[in-house]
Amino acid sequence: MATTIDASLRQEFARLREECLLCYQCGQCTSSCPNGGDLERGPRRIIRDVQAGEIEAVMSNEDLWRCSECGTCSDVCRMDVDVAAILKRLRALERQYGGQRCPEREAADIAAKRLGKYPRIDNLAFGMTMASKGHVPKDVVGAAGAFTRIVSQTVNARMKAGRAAPEGAPAAAAKPAGPARPFYAGCALPQDADAYRRTHAVAAAIGFNLAETEAAACCGHPSRGTVGSGFTADEPVLTACPACDASLEEAGVQTTPLWEALVDRARRDERPLKAAAESFVPYVGCLVDRERALASLADAAALSGARIELSYPALHAACCGALGGMYRGSSEGARRLLGFAAERRATVVTPCLLCRDNLRSAARRAHLSVPIHFWPEFFSAADAGSAAPTDGDAHD
Amino acid sequence: MSASAGGKDVSAQPTGNSERGNGAGPSARGNGSAPGNGTRGNGATGADVAARPLALLCECAGTMENIDFAALENGLVAADVVRGRHWCGREGQGRLLELMESAAGRRLVFAGCSQDFAARRFHRLLSRGLKMEVADIREGASWVHDGDVPAVTGKAASIIASTIGYPAPSNDTLVREHRENSVLVIGGGVAGTQAACELAQMGHSVHLVERRPFLGGRAARIGTVFPTNDCGQCLPSTDAQAGTRKCFHRNVAIDDPNLQVWRRSTVESVSGGPGDFEVAVRRLPNIVTDACVNCGACESVCPEQASDGASKAIFTEFYDGRVVRTVDLDTCTFCGACVEQCPVQAIDFTQSPERTTVHAGAILTAVGCEPAPEKFINHLGYGHDGVKTQLELAEMLDDWEGQASLGRTPATEVVMVQCAGSRDRQRLPHCSRLCCMIALKHSIRLKTLFPAMKVTICYLEMRTAGAGYENWYLAARRAGVEFLRGTPPEVQFDGEGKPVIEVEDVPAGRKVVLRPDLVVLSAGMVPAIDVERIAQVLNIDLDEDGFIEILDRKNRATETTGEGIFVCGSATGPKALIECNTEASAVASEIHNFLASKGRSCAPASVVQAEKCVGCDVCVAACPFGAISLVERPDDAPRPQEVKDEGKLAVVDAEACHACGICAANCPEMAIAHNLSDDALFGRVSVMTEGVEKPVIGFYCKECAGAAISLSGQQRDAYPTSVRLIELPCLGRVSALHIVAAAKQGAAGVFLAGCAEGRCQFRRGDISAAEQTALAEELLAEAGMDVPLELWHLCAVDRASVGRRIRLFHAKATGNGASAEMLEAEAGLIGAGVSAGACATCSATTAPTGGEPRGDNN
Repeated sequence: MATTIDASLRQEFARLREECLLCYQCGQCTSSCPNGGDLERGPRRIIRDVQAGEIEAVMSNEDLWRCSECGTCSDVCRMDVDVAAILKRLRALERQYGGQRCPEREAADIAAKRLGKYPRIDNLAFGMTMASKGHVPKDVVGAAGAFTRIVSQTVNARMKAGRAAPEGAPAAAAKPAGPARPFYAGCALPQDADAYRRTHAVAAAIGFNLAETEAAACCGHPSRGTVGSGFTADEPVLTACPACDASLEEAGVQTTPLWEALVDRARRDERPLKAAAESFVPYVGCLVDRERALASLADAAALSGARIELSYPALHAACCGALGGMYRGSSEGARRLLGFAAERRATVVTPCLLCRDNLRSAARRAHLSVPIHFWPEFFSAADAGSAAPTDGDAHD
Repeated sequence: MSASAGGKDVSAQPTGNSERGNGAGPSARGNGSAPGNGTRGNGATGADVAARPLALLCECAGTMENIDFAALENGLVAADVVRGRHWCGREGQGRLLELMESAAGRRLVFAGCSQDFAARRFHRLLSRGLKMEVADIREGASWVHDGDVPAVTGKAASIIASTIGYPAPSNDTLVREHRENSVLVIGGGVAGTQAACELAQMGHSVHLVERRPFLGGRAARIGTVFPTNDCGQCLPSTDAQAGTRKCFHRNVAIDDPNLQVWRRSTVESVSGGPGDFEVAVRRLPNIVTDACVNCGACESVCPEQASDGASKAIFTEFYDGRVVRTVDLDTCTFCGACVEQCPVQAIDFTQSPERTTVHAGAILTAVGCEPAPEKFINHLGYGHDGVKTQLELAEMLDDWEGQASLGRTPATEVVMVQCAGSRDRQRLPHCSRLCCMIALKHSIRLKTLFPAMKVTICYLEMRTAGAGYENWYLAARRAGVEFLRGTPPEVQFDGEGKPVIEVEDVPAGRKVVLRPDLVVLSAGMVPAIDVERIAQVLNIDLDEDGFIEILDRKNRATETTGEGIFVCGSATGPKALIECNTEASAVASEIHNFLASKGRSCAPASVVQAEKCVGCDVCVAACPFGAISLVERPDDAPRPQEVKDEGKLAVVDAEACHACGICAANCPEMAIAHNLSDDALFGRVSVMTEGVEKPVIGFYCKECAGAAISLSGQQRDAYPTSVRLIELPCLGRVSALHIVAAAKQGAAGVFLAGCAEGRCQFRRGDISAAEQTALAEELLAEAGMDVPLELWHLCAVDRASVGRRIRLFHAKATGNGASAEMLEAEAGLIGAGVSAGACATCSATTAPTGGEPRGDNN
């Protein structure tokens, strides 16, 4: 639906324009954008269109919704233009003025468009939501036959979770002593019963008493901003998901990635970790602090004796293919990473559950047989005797 | 202060007795063909007559028809009057010459054209000692008003009365008359050395102080330079042969007996002042003496490396022809091996550092600039083997040339990244100007040596402004260098350590991945390492990027903010060699002029009145020239009642004072006597507004704003007679109290016209005026007075618009703003000649009684 351009929208644009007057189009924002290779125009062009007052062009730009709000563009800007914040405000404007602009609806449209090219939507959680809202037919969601299984798995997980720990998880290890650490589970982890169980198991084995916060629901994914979680906490909160990490930080809640905390503790206690394979390629995604996350993964490698394959594709914050929250087919960066891992016969390990799913979809599409593990699927406490990880969906 | 202070003294005396002049020429009344003159006294004789000013009324050859000169003459009670029809004509000047003798010792007040115009017309007499003050009744009254004769005549009378009553001081006080005939040059790079040589040739004694052991600086060490593509180690030669140059080591200019070179020396402290600085210079010994024949025996036995690791502790570098070798005192262990080996006993370890005081009339800072340090380019992978700077590439190119001659290729793909760390608000905000040309030079060289090599320049804008520069860009494109518009935010490395660059090709709108063998960063330049200390020692300012601040980038590009301290070359920002050379010659001439001048002429310095000064530091902070300091109050100095024992006293250094009056305007106690006193200013306001209904007061600076106003007057751009202008030496002289006084005298509005923004010749006059205007607005608001105030920035280009500004401001101040008719009339004037129409505009606003728009008589 066309954007209604009225005086107040023009005024908003005039205000935005003032903030990017200093931009001289060096292109470093687009160069640095993890989604850049798959963008139609990229942040630089959006800023240019804002400068030129091309409201229509900005508002109809799908790239706005491909932003995962990692903030790299703002960091590298020579002229201190807060590109990420401008993109975010543009999304808010589009929701306000764009008529249809419910982001999910928009996503559905884009997904439906892609259905012309590709037979189905691979991101199951997303596809399911779309299907349940009637935006797309059920039979195009997921790999053949997977839909029903996933639905039941998810529904079960939700029922079991019920915002409390699913049964079996805390029981997997003795409740560790020590003060309870607030833990924000987010929306994705409780939907994956296995990952959820492993998370609690490894935390307990290392000595963390995870107290799942009651109010933790949707963090309000940063690129969407549609849902404010309203969650507050007085002390640092552990998170298992980089998206939660980013959006809670933005809401003023102090967070620590659970995986970093676990590795730090294990190192301090001189407690070895167990790795599920001999070597792995780290993939940190776009939302985390890349250097910190890579350093933590390197520490985990040292503790577990696994070899970490640190090289260019892994170092670069390439997009997993989520392109702003929804899977849109494998990105150039993801293909590069998976190719590298396949060549090295190494497992890809990521601290982001969403990246894991998206990378698995990307691997499938690229016909690459690469194991892709979420952090707790790869690392476990050496003395916990954890089962070998399953290789995700049984689709390979 | 009385409205007619000047008139009061004489008002009781009888008037009307006319006293003829020497009888030469017909009398006044404006219609004689010869210059008229007539002196009208008032019966006073002898000493009284001598004490009275003599007013020279000029009718400007009949062009001031809207002034009733008879009435003007009769109404002028404070002075004797001599009328003339055309004082600047041949006969008029002759008469003036006679008056210079007959009226010697009397104050002469010329009432006619503007000060600037009169100064040119009477130039010859002025240079023969004529002293006269000017009351501008032409550009200031007649020519800018319509035919309302009584009103214009009244205004002219006010102007003359104001000039007689409150004279402006003359600008002929000389300070800093002592000029030591010597120069200290800091920095022996090409800029400093060339300037030093030229100054020495002009006959000045020159001390060239260089921190390093060798002259020549950076330019001499970097290989070839653009745009000439040859070495940077030459200076113009001294044999007065046009167009010749010689290398440092062959150039006898450096051997000029007037030039003393201080190697390995630094300036430690500076005292004294412009014209006679006392500079303490510290010199480290060179150890190797002039006897050295450069055999290299010492180097072959030296066991230590120099601190840069590239050479031995006894080493040679750029050969400037005088000092051949030197010793790195940081790493030398004084083992003496070299001493034993030296065949000519040129190594003398008994030398020790010395400290000397040098007298210099002027100081030249030519400290140059440095390549940006690592922290500005680390994000682009600097430090990694595959990433170099252009400077490092320049050194590598010599080796690569060798490889090319053997048919080898050291790299297949090279990517140059422009603006590396530059034009970035988090790193170096400035453009270093040279990097584009250096990249072009190197890329062409690479393509010449290795035609198959892929050379890509990632750029933002190619800045090739300069004579012949664009040809380099053309040549690079022709040579097949690829230009990619867009710069990467980071450089990464793959498993083999090869650089990977992901960058947006901006015009194409797509991202590309480059995998070169070598990344070359075009890093910028930063101020010289020592510049902060030097600026502190010299007490001069640095600009926002940390380079030495130029006093006036347009007209005084080689002066620093310190009087008598000059600058040239890249000390003020990165510059190409040709610009450094040009500036070196320019600064030599400037310094020559400075040393040859008799001193700085200005108005008498301001004086602090101890009985009013409470010892606050407002004036100290306000003075743009650092001429005021607080001292312990002497026991015998008077003090205000509220000041107890410890009260300090502000003192103005008369040598440093430029008499701008900013301190006087800012002093909360009005304790500083400027040569144009507060009483005089209040008096001028009073005289100029007396009897005027709804006057609009305009204070203006006599420099740029004055030029705009007087040029506008010469174009006869008219405005209402109730606008009254008061000239100041600098707008900074205006204090809030003067503005409030004008409002209290009934001013309907007050405008202040200063020089173009940031261009005050007293540096901070416009800033001070803006502060005082804001303060006045507060005071007026408190007093419940609604008087519009405006601050304008004018220069000569505003001559066509200043009349309109005044008319519109008048309309705003006296009514509700410009009427539709007025705006229509004003619109018709834009772009047209102004005179007649402007008067019509006046009519629209003031509706004068009687008279009609003056015809086109200019």
